[in-house]
Amino acid sequence: MNLTQHPELLDRLAANYALGTLRGGARRRFETLAREHATVRAAALVWQTRWSGLTELQPAVQPAPAVWTRIDNLVQADQSAQTLHAARVSVAAQPAKGWWRNLLVWRGAAAAGALATLAAVAVGVQVNGGLRSTAGAQIAALQQQLQAAPQIQYVAVLADDQAAASMLVTFDAKSNQLVLQRVGGFKEGVDKSLQLWALPPAGGPRSLGVLGHDPLLKFVAQEGDVKEVPTLAISLEPLGGVPSTTGPTGPVLFKGALIRKAT
Amino acid sequence: MSLHPDSELMNLLDQIAAQDDSALKKLYERTSSQLFGLALRIVRNRDAAEDVLQESFVSIWRGAGNYRASLSPPMAWLGLIVRSRALDALRKRTTDRADLMNELDDDMAQVLEGDSPNPMDSADASEQAFALHQCLGKLDNKQREVVSLAYLRDQSHAELAEQLKLPLGTVKTWIRRGLEQLRTCMARYA
Repeated sequence: MNLTQHPELLDRLAANYALGTLRGGARRRFETLAREHATVRAAALVWQTRWSGLTELQPAVQPAPAVWTRIDNLVQADQSAQTLHAARVSVAAQPAKGWWRNLLVWRGAAAAGALATLAAVAVGVQVNGGLRSTAGAQIAALQQQLQAAPQIQYVAVLADDQAAASMLVTFDAKSNQLVLQRVGGFKEGVDKSLQLWALPPAGGPRSLGVLGHDPLLKFVAQEGDVKEVPTLAISLEPLGGVPSTTGPTGPVLFKGALIRKAT
Repeated sequence: MSLHPDSELMNLLDQIAAQDDSALKKLYERTSSQLFGLALRIVRNRDAAEDVLQESFVSIWRGAGNYRASLSPPMAWLGLIVRSRALDALRKRTTDRADLMNELDDDMAQVLEGDSPNPMDSADASEQAFALHQCLGKLDNKQREVVSLAYLRDQSHAELAEQLKLPLGTVKTWIRRGLEQLRTCMARYA
């Protein structure tokens, strides 16, 4: 039977097909006809469109406010990832040189992405949820400080070569404290230490401290240690770190621009 | 801004396609309760529905650029995204039979009360949805309910019968009669 000659039957089948109640062999036969005959295809589309109106007719219910927060976090992370990706592409386009020379490029790129990155760090922390609750509370406090407290004058987000944020660094000039927050999943081996370096525009890297294994770390530092320093980096060193004068001996795992916040 | 809700939503989708996150927030404010109601109706669980809403808005954020090609009214396009996510969630959960059985009682109560309203909360509903709303309003509540559930939850006659604890023949009859009335009614809006 040629379905296209029986508009009434075609309409009924199309309505059932689009509703989803046409099943099994009947459904497959209808689909075959739809591929062959534009009239059948059109009838199916008409009913798919009509039924889709059902999605608009359900009683509205207010979702919990937290849902938007979660969506917004994911979206901000998305945007930051894109910014960082763009930054990495521009870095990759440069001819290969020593890693700290590349940092000049990094500085510009990272400066552009830094504010967005801060959001990404906050998101990473919330979304990954991998940090212990005490650390979580401290991070929350840290984030609040970042947003509200004027004494945090310097911030840096150190990322690995995949542009994944791994360390959040803030300098509090009032208490002369450099606060480091691990935000990635990286764990150095028990026989290794991470060491934080300032990379001033002139002269070699200067050690700012050797990191313990805690998720939240605080170093005493003077503003002079971080002032005029465009970049911070973290290298993997033997347990206990190396003397500042030696400079980093192991691979640089994380680096990022140090941003001075407008006060 | 705009008198026609469709064009306002379409503008928002265009802005979202250009990665404007403030437009996403506006879209959420405008549509989230409608879409959450839809998700809730399909998955019947608040937590699951919130996950569906979240996933849907992230995919709207990433996929708004595809909207124009769909030729759908914006609310229908958004609704289809939510329905598709909700059906995914439902399929994942179907393995948990105990969970499912508990929900069925709610459904049955809902249907057999026989006075479930024919809702139309949204000022954003498209013209096609308005026509459907008018025609659904002419059906018996039970017919309206089984037809709506068949579509929203993508369920067969047999699944509906099992879920609503009704004889298969009854479900088939309700759907057939409901469909016939709807076809006649919708033809007038064609």
